[in-house]
Amino acid sequence: MSVVLPERIRRFTTDPDEPLHQRAYASSLRDERLAAILGSSLGILFSICFLTGLYSHIQQNPVSWLPIQPRPAGLYRFTQGLHVASGIASIPVLIAKLWLVWPRFVAFPVAKRLSHVVERIGLFPLVAGGIFMTFSGVANIAQWYPWKFSFRASHFWMAWVTMGAIVAHVGAKWAIARRSLRRPSRRPALAAADPVLGTVAEAATVPGGGLSRRGLLLTVAGASGLLTLTTVGETFHPLRRLSLLAPRDPDIGPQGRPVNRGAANAGVVDLARSPAYRLEVTGRVARPVSLTLDQLTALPVHAAELPIACVEGWSYSAHWSGVRVRDLLAMAGAEGGRTVVVESLEPNGAYRTSTLNADQADDHDTMLATHLDGQPLAIDHGFPCRLIAPNRPGVLQTKWVTKVTVL
Amino acid sequence: MSEPELPLEPGRAEGSAGPLFWVSAAVGWAVILGVGLRGIFAHRIDTRPANLARFVVAGALLHDLLVAPVVIVLGVLVVRAVPRRPRAAVQAALAVSAIVALFAYPLVRAYGLSTHNPTSEPHNYARNLLIVLAFVWLVALAATVLRRRPRPVT
Repeated sequence: MSVVLPERIRRFTTDPDEPLHQRAYASSLRDERLAAILGSSLGILFSICFLTGLYSHIQQNPVSWLPIQPRPAGLYRFTQGLHVASGIASIPVLIAKLWLVWPRFVAFPVAKRLSHVVERIGLFPLVAGGIFMTFSGVANIAQWYPWKFSFRASHFWMAWVTMGAIVAHVGAKWAIARRSLRRPSRRPALAAADPVLGTVAEAATVPGGGLSRRGLLLTVAGASGLLTLTTVGETFHPLRRLSLLAPRDPDIGPQGRPVNRGAANAGVVDLARSPAYRLEVTGRVARPVSLTLDQLTALPVHAAELPIACVEGWSYSAHWSGVRVRDLLAMAGAEGGRTVVVESLEPNGAYRTSTLNADQADDHDTMLATHLDGQPLAIDHGFPCRLIAPNRPGVLQTKWVTKVTVL
Repeated sequence: MSEPELPLEPGRAEGSAGPLFWVSAAVGWAVILGVGLRGIFAHRIDTRPANLARFVVAGALLHDLLVAPVVIVLGVLVVRAVPRRPRAAVQAALAVSAIVALFAYPLVRAYGLSTHNPTSEPHNYARNLLIVLAFVWLVALAATVLRRRPRPVT
């Protein structure tokens, strides 16, 4: 029995007539060249997501050695639009790649040597990470939170897990991918190149009739393109009318502009409309300033066209006007080159304050806006005034501002 | 038997693990453990490792043990059920439809509306999804009708 059992397992996993045999998943599409094309596309898309995600992270968690610059004003709008669009475009590629290589996940024997063990263990963070990153990203832009963890922290740290797994996987697959990408597509030397996928592909019994390899690539490209076309209009406005599946419409909302958090939700409706409202400039200033709304709107007006770019990937550019932050600081007699904290009326919430570094606070367009497109701010947009600064995530464009503290 | 014999000990042209394999494995795992997992546990108040692990593991298991096998069985059924001429277009349209529907699922279910955001998810996504799917199948139909006769396999 003890001799028969390993033999039984071996037959079960390799015999053509047993259920776990790879021929059961036969398809001429399970081709290592196709796997290499999909894999490298996925690697590029995930790397774009990772780099733009890092940029978004240091926007929200500044590091002293790389202070965020206020220019170019539309940079964050571009990087975050790209982050979400690349993530969405990667979904069909990921699904196709998983479909293609799935037989490998159930291939037996599990490993023949140490490098196989290392490689197969590494598949778990790779696959689980890829699925988690795309799922959590899609759920977040749809504002669906079926979990208890913080999306931002978990998406960020899991990105490192996934990228680490990608680095290991690229190293393991570099030679085979390079060779198969160089090989002319019509000459598959599959079995020689990859034992599992190769025999699977060559065992395909249906020549023609179904999707060809090129057809599968076109299908994946088509699905990515379709998802992109039906969502990207929320940041790339010429395609707005095609945005059937975008979670936001850049033209729908108070004053024809979307918001991420309404005043009622933030619990500021009464505070914002109260006659007791004051804007204070305090901290390391020579003359603390306290302004009523009338006094605030009587100050010299600065106007600029600046984008609002949400981390969730939607954005718009608008005409903002209000009081420059650097004029307010000068009025209070603050020294130049200081960090400034802007505080909201919101009683709580992760984004009730935001910090401007010295360059951002001093930028000639950084302002506390009181008007949007020539109209007084709607309360959902941050009435009485909100921070608008160039090259900045929307969540840091603090609304319902009541205090500016110079550090 | 016309089918090729499956070699039991296929030669590994995949290449024996060279320095590139081990260096990238070392760097990759250093990042996974030293940055990713360390970060998750260092920020456990936010990341809730137990809850996070459930979603990460569940996602992989759900795919590997349920979604992938089901898709593969469906694929076999499609190959058997659909005539040759429209087969490629049907396979492509089914794949695209499933992916688009998957993406649109939280929007169709309107989960985001629970945040009481006045501007979140302003469209009728069920209707829009149907429009997109109709487009996909129209393209598939057009591709089948306009397709040249398949050339004989050489």
